[in-house]
Amino acid sequence: MKKFIYPAMAALLIVGSAFTFIKSQDWKISDDYSIKFTSEDPSGIFQGLKGTISFDDKDLAASKFDVTIDVSTINTGNGMKNTHAKSEKWLDATKYPTIHFVSSGVAVTASGYEAKGILEFHGVKKDFTMPFTFQNNVFKSSFDINRLDFNVNTAEPAHGASVLKVDISVPVTKG
Amino acid sequence: MSRKNFYHGAIAGILSALACFVYNKIYLFATEVDFSKVMNAGAIIGANLLACIIASIGFGLFSKWFKSKAEIIFNFSFAILSFASVIIPISISLPLNIKNPELFPGLAVPMHFFPVLSWLTTMPLFRETKK
Repeated sequence: MKKFIYPAMAALLIVGSAFTFIKSQDWKISDDYSIKFTSEDPSGIFQGLKGTISFDDKDLAASKFDVTIDVSTINTGNGMKNTHAKSEKWLDATKYPTIHFVSSGVAVTASGYEAKGILEFHGVKKDFTMPFTFQNNVFKSSFDINRLDFNVNTAEPAHGASVLKVDISVPVTKG
Repeated sequence: MSRKNFYHGAIAGILSALACFVYNKIYLFATEVDFSKVMNAGAIIGANLLACIIASIGFGLFSKWFKSKAEIIFNFSFAILSFASVIIPISISLPLNIKNPELFPGLAVPMHFFPVLSWLTTMPLFRETKK
């Protein structure tokens, strides 16, 4: 009987370890996403969204967002404004090439969900809560962001808008 | 507006539009950036015809107002207006689905000088030379 104990334990460990690989559903970001920002001045879009999205509405504890946006992909529709936006005075795309959000928890809200985590923008890391919805394999989020909170051209707080409305739509496919 | 003035404006506009088409092709070949969504054939022809015909109307009015000084005043005015108009393609915001908007002024700014070039180049064909 003793000789079966260790093989049985090994088999149990192997079977048990298989369950440790069960995790939240991974999603692959589709190419037709949009990240828009609007204000009195400026308005535009970002491209270059990358990252990993794990989300399961039945297992929010295992859900996680870790995404980056390439700052140099900013497009306001005007070449001169794009150059200014990427310059040292504003977003400083050379020194801070990405905007990074990594979630630490996802919770249900009245209107959908919210992802709490750290947003790193222009070299400043801040706690950030991103509200979002998920329907028909599309993540949507709308929120306001104050550039002054992230030290973006604090020397000129009245130059253009300080608060920008951000609208994100990210269609995904099962990864 | 006299018939001569009208033909001057129309022919200058057509030549100017032709120059724009050629430059557009060269620019597309050089940069591989397509701005046809904001600058298509209709827009090019329309804008050039409009600019040159308005110039001809303007020249007609200047001739009445300034008599013998009309030509020099008009030529300066047309050149200055053309130069001032380059602020438009530099400051305009294109639709956000158009890539590389920073290359747009390189296409549009030279085109703003084509009507004045064309109109002044064809001017001797439509004016009586003083003897």
